[in-house]
Amino acid sequence: MAEHRRQAKNQSMFIRPPPRQPRQTWLWLAPYAAIGIFALAMLIVTALLQWREQDTALSALEGDMHWAGRTIETRLHGHQDFLTELGREQEFRQLTYEAFQVKASRYVRDNPEISAIIWVSTDGKVEWVAPNESTAAFVGEQLTGTRLIALQEALRTRRLLFSADYRGADQRRANDLILPVQQGSSDLGAFIALQSLETLLRVTLPATFTARYSLTVVDADNRELLSNSSVKPTDRRISGSFNLDLPNNPLGLNIVAYRGGGAWLPYLPAALIVILTLIATATLFQLRRHAWRRAETEEQLRAAYAFRQAMSQSLVTGLRAIDLEGRITFVNAAFCRMTGFDEAELVGVAPPYPYWPPEEFARLQNNIDTALAGHAPASGFEMRIMRKNGERFDVRLYFSPLIDAGGKQIGWIASMNDITEPKRIRVELERAHERFATVIDGLDTAVHVADALNGEILFANRAFQHIFGFDTVGRDSSLVTAVCRPPPEALNRDPADLDAADLPCELFDGEIQHALSGHWYHLHERAIRWVDGRTVRVQIAADITDKKHIDEVNLQQQKRLEQTSRLITMGEMASSLAHELNQPLSAIANYCAGCIKRMQAGNYKFEDLLSAMQKASDQAERAGKIIRRMRDMVKKSDPNRQPVALAQLLDEARAFADIEAQRTGTQIVVDLPENLPKIVVDRIMIEQVLLNLIKNGIEAMHDTPFERRRLDINARQIDERLVQVEIADNGHGLPVEDVEKIFTPFYTTKQEGMGIGLAICRSIIEFHHGHLWVEARHEGGTVFRFTVPIEEIADE
Amino acid sequence: MNEHQQIIHVVDDDEAMRDSMTWLLEGEGYAVACYDSAGSFLAARNDRMRGCIVLDVRMPEMSGLELHEKLEALGSRLPIIFVTGHGDVPMAVGALQRGACDFIEKPFNNEDLLTRIRRALELDTQRSARQQRDSAIAQRLEQLTQREREVMQLVVAGKLNKQVADELDISMKTVEAHRARVMEKMGVRTLAELVKAVMSVN
Repeated sequence: MAEHRRQAKNQSMFIRPPPRQPRQTWLWLAPYAAIGIFALAMLIVTALLQWREQDTALSALEGDMHWAGRTIETRLHGHQDFLTELGREQEFRQLTYEAFQVKASRYVRDNPEISAIIWVSTDGKVEWVAPNESTAAFVGEQLTGTRLIALQEALRTRRLLFSADYRGADQRRANDLILPVQQGSSDLGAFIALQSLETLLRVTLPATFTARYSLTVVDADNRELLSNSSVKPTDRRISGSFNLDLPNNPLGLNIVAYRGGGAWLPYLPAALIVILTLIATATLFQLRRHAWRRAETEEQLRAAYAFRQAMSQSLVTGLRAIDLEGRITFVNAAFCRMTGFDEAELVGVAPPYPYWPPEEFARLQNNIDTALAGHAPASGFEMRIMRKNGERFDVRLYFSPLIDAGGKQIGWIASMNDITEPKRIRVELERAHERFATVIDGLDTAVHVADALNGEILFANRAFQHIFGFDTVGRDSSLVTAVCRPPPEALNRDPADLDAADLPCELFDGEIQHALSGHWYHLHERAIRWVDGRTVRVQIAADITDKKHIDEVNLQQQKRLEQTSRLITMGEMASSLAHELNQPLSAIANYCAGCIKRMQAGNYKFEDLLSAMQKASDQAERAGKIIRRMRDMVKKSDPNRQPVALAQLLDEARAFADIEAQRTGTQIVVDLPENLPKIVVDRIMIEQVLLNLIKNGIEAMHDTPFERRRLDINARQIDERLVQVEIADNGHGLPVEDVEKIFTPFYTTKQEGMGIGLAICRSIIEFHHGHLWVEARHEGGTVFRFTVPIEEIADE
Repeated sequence: MNEHQQIIHVVDDDEAMRDSMTWLLEGEGYAVACYDSAGSFLAARNDRMRGCIVLDVRMPEMSGLELHEKLEALGSRLPIIFVTGHGDVPMAVGALQRGACDFIEKPFNNEDLLTRIRRALELDTQRSARQQRDSAIAQRLEQLTQREREVMQLVVAGKLNKQVADELDISMKTVEAHRARVMEKMGVRTLAELVKAVMSVN
C-alpha cells in the first residue's frame, strides 16, 4: 500500500512544476531598494532646494525690510526737520502766516502723506491751516481726545512726538507729528503735521515692494494699525519685523513675503516623487507578479514539455509526424530505436523513406499516398519495413491528422507498432488453435462441454455433432444426449452442488449404450472450470462398439488359440522337421550314391568307402533323432475326448473361417438336423479338421464365379455309432488319380501349401475311429466327408 | 589344378551336405571346392574361375538368392544350380526366371544332380570357348590400321572392290592390297569367314 501511495505521489510530483528557485529573490529586492534610495535622495534634494530658497527669500526680505524702514524713517525725519524749521522761525516770530502758508503748502504738495500742517495753540485750538483748501483741519477747530493728550504730552516733554493714531475726518487712519514750540520757558503752541500712515507707506514704498510683501504697521502693543493689503498671508515663515525709530511713538513694521504659488507648491516635488515612487513600486510589484506568474507558467510548460518529451521518449510505440507533403517533421526515440536510424537521418526526409525495403517500394508508396489523401483505414496499415542493418520486420501504422493550436491541419501523425512478435504470436495462436481444432475435430471421440447448471452445450466437436446433430451448440445437453447419458445416480457427485474448490472433479467413467443406435460408448465425464469461470461438464464419449466387438471376438479367439495351439504347434513342427530331415536324407543318398559309383567303376579304396558308409550311418542316426523329437511332440498332445455338440464346434470353426469367406465372397450354408446327438471328440482337434476343410473348400473355389461360391456343410447320423459330416464346394474338383494322393503328407496342389493339412486331418479323424475321404460332386467340385463317434457308444 | 580346369563350387551351410556332395562328385571325377557360406565364396571367387556353383537356397546370413544377385552384379558367368528344400520351390522358380541355370529339390536323386551338373559344365565350356574366340578376334582387329579397318567394313558390308575404291577415293590396286592384308591379319581365308568373325564380336 505504502509503495502504491509513493508511486502515486511520484506521479503527481512529476506532473507538477518543480519548486521555484529562491536564488532570484534578492534580484527582485534590488529594484525596490533602488526606488527607495532614489526617492529618498530626491526628497532630500528637494528639501535642500526648498530650504535654500527660503533662506534666500528671508535674506531678501530682511534687506527689503531694512530698506523700507530706512526710507520711512528718512521721510519721517524729513518731516521732523521741516517742522523743526517752522518751529524755529515761529520761536523767533519771524514766520508770518503768509510765509507759513506758502512754505507749508509747498511741503504738503511735495509730500502727499501729509494732508495738512496746522498750528495749534497750547490749548489745542487750530489757528493756522496750510494749505488753505485742506479739509483735514479747520481753523478754530479744537483738538480732542488722543490728539489733545498727545499735544499736551508733547508740550510737557517739549519734544517732537508722534501721536497715537486716530481716525481722521475721512475715516482714514492718521496720526499727528507734533512739534511743540517754546519761547523761553513758555509754550507758544505746536506745529502739527497730519499725516496718513497709509499714504506714507504707499508713497515711500514702490509698488513692486507692496506686491511682494504684506506690510503691517503695528504699535508698541503689537496691535495692527495698518496694512497695505487686505489679504493676510497664511504662511508667515518668510517674515520679519522692524522697529521704526520715531520719537515717542515706537511703531513696528511687520513684513511677510507673499508666496509665489499656492501653499502646496513647495510640497509638489516631494509629492510628485512620492507618487512616482508609489507608481514605480506598484508597477514593479505588478511586473514582479507578472514575471512570477510567467515563470510559473513557464515552469508548468517546461514540466509539461519535459513530461511530454519523457512520455514520447519512453513510449514503445514509434511516433512519426509528417507534413502535408509527406516530409518527416518529427520522430520519437522508439521510432529511431525500431528503425535503427538517427533522428537526424529521418527528419526532413520525403518519401521514399530510408527504412523502406526496396522490394516494398510500390506498396508503401501507395500506402503513404492513401494516407496523405486522408483515406488511411482506421485499422492502420500492416507493412514490412527495414532496419538500418537491412533486417525486415512487420509493423502496423495508424494515421491521424496533426492539428495545430489554431485548428488547422499541418500534417499527419503516425504511430507505429512492431507487430513482428504479436504477429508471430498471433500466427502461433492461430496455428495452435487450428491444430487444436483439427485435433479435436479429427478425433473419433465425441467431445462436448455443457454448463453444469442449465445444461447449455457450449462446445461440441465434429464427432459429437455427427452423433447428436449439427445444431446442438446452445441447446440443452440433457435433452440432446438423453439417449446416451449416465443416469444421475451413477454420477460421483451432483454437478449442481460443486464448489469452485472441488474442480476439477471426476463425475463418471464407464460404458453406456446409445439407446437408439445400439452403439457402445466409453463415457468419461468430469466437471471443470470453463474459460469464463463457470462450472461445466466435459464429456468425452469414445465409440467402443467395434472395440467391444473385437474384444469379444479376440477373447473367443484367444480361447480358441489356446485350445488349438497344440495342433498348430504340431503342424509347424511337422513342417520344420520335414525340412530338417531333408539334410540327413540327402547326405545319406549322396554317400550311398558315391559308394555305388566307385564300386561300379572298381576304382576305390576300402578305407574311403568305409568312411563314407560311416558318415551315412551317422546321418541316418541324425534323421532318427529328428523323428524321435517329432514323436515326443505328438505324444505330449494326447487328445481329450468329451461329448460336445457339433453345432458348437462348427460355430467356433466358422468364427475363423468367416473372415476368409467374407474376403472371397463365399457363402457358407450350414444345415444340421435338430436332433443331432453330441459327438465325443477332442474338440480342438475336430475344430481344426473342420477349419481345415472349410478353408480348403474356400480356396478350391478361387476360380469359381462369385454367384456360385457356396460351401455347404451338413451332417447326419448314419447309424447308432457315427455322425457323418459333409463339406461340399463348387471348386475346381480333383482329378480321379489325385483322390487318394491328397492325403499323402507333403502333397499339395497349392502354391503356398505345406501338403500336410489333409494328412493330419485324416490322422485326427482316424485317431477318433472315424474315416475321412473325398469324392467328386456330380455338379462339379468336391465333397469331403468324415465320420465321428457319438456319445452313446463312446468306447473306453 | 590349372586355371582353366572346371571346378564344382559347393556352397552349403550344412557340413554333412558339403562332405557327402564332395564324396559323390569326386567319385564322378570332378574337382570340388566347398564353401560354408555365401560370404566365404564371395571372398574366394575371381573372374577366371570356371565350372559351376551348387548353391543351397536356405542359408543363414546371406541366402543363395542374395548371393546370386551379387554374382550377377559382379558379372560372373558361372552357371548356378540351386538346391532347395521343401517349400522353397516358388523361390527357386523366381531365381530361374532371373537367369539362374537350374535348380534341384531336396531330397534329390543323385543321377538328376549329376545330369544337371554335366549340363552346367557344358554350358560353362561353351561360354568360355566363345569368350576366348571373341577375345582372339578382338586382338586381331586391334592389329588393323585405320585404312584397313575402313576397307574391311565396306567389304563385310558386301561392297565390291570397285565400289570400295570409289567410296574411299583410292585405287583398285590399293583396295586389293588392303584386303589381302586384312585377310592375313584376321587369320581367315574366305570372305565368309571374315564376315563371321566380325559379326561374332559385334
